[in-house]
Amino acid sequence: MSSRRSHSRHSSASRITEEEINELVSKLQMMLPDAPISRNSRVSARKVLQETCSYIRSLHQEVDDLSEKLSELLASTDTDSAEAAILRSLLMQ
Amino acid sequence: MHVTKEFKKKTFLKQFLLGLHVSNSISNPISIQQRKNSIKLSADLAMAFARGRTHWTHALITKLGQKEENKSTLKGILGRRYEILMARYSCPLLYQKVQRRKKSVRSYRFSYNAQKRRSSALKGSCVRVSPSVVARNLENRRTKVLKRLVPGGELLNGSALLSEALDYVISLKAQVDMMKSLWRATQVSSSSNVELVPSAPLQKKDASCTIANSEE
Repeated sequence: MSSRRSHSRHSSASRITEEEINELVSKLQMMLPDAPISRNSRVSARKVLQETCSYIRSLHQEVDDLSEKLSELLASTDTDSAEAAILRSLLMQ
Repeated sequence: MHVTKEFKKKTFLKQFLLGLHVSNSISNPISIQQRKNSIKLSADLAMAFARGRTHWTHALITKLGQKEENKSTLKGILGRRYEILMARYSCPLLYQKVQRRKKSVRSYRFSYNAQKRRSSALKGSCVRVSPSVVARNLENRRTKVLKRLVPGGELLNGSALLSEALDYVISLKAQVDMMKSLWRATQVSSSSNVELVPSAPLQKKDASCTIANSEE
């Protein structure tokens, strides 16, 4: 099956997406927390991938911690004042 | 692909609040661990709804719906939409494909060597592995972890995977920020024992201002 795949088709496809990929990589770079001040220096794509993975993991961990904190907080307060707080932040948005 | 933060915030909060409400009404009293799980579920569902229809939101909702412990809460949150959404988002065939891929790393290596043998048999003396295969292998090795982290990532490749990952990171960040501000708001209200005071002027989020008003 893979022998049927023509070389030209793949190389043309990769030529089109090469710039796309570079653009996406630089966008990801900008999202990452400790972005160095000079963004002109190109960080390797592999480094960006690694940092993206660890960033996603740390965000997952934060969600987990926040869920735990909220759970403890909501257990101690009664639901009404908690919902009131949530409604207030809803109105403030 | 741009997510307008304003839109996302309101949708997220509405959905999150609904989720909390439902999980409270389903099991009362509720253990801290159970509540934590339903908070997480509500947050993830809210994030998916706030973002809209993307590959990763579909995959996330599917994943959430497949866990046994989530089903009752999801039914409560989604109501009649539960059946429709679960049917639409869960494609058992796709997931079978993913499971098979996960299990057969060894068999993949076998087939790769078999392909090398095949190509050498066809083309004579030199073992020529097509550059597309080499490039794909390298890419797959590098994006292996990312594929696992992004919901639905196993089914994507190349620029599609990267753009989904970017979108997912943006939404995750927004989710974390929303939960942080909710936590702060709940903390403030519980510590100063405030109920929703209609006379308190609604200003931009300024925690110190809220405390000052309640102490009056």
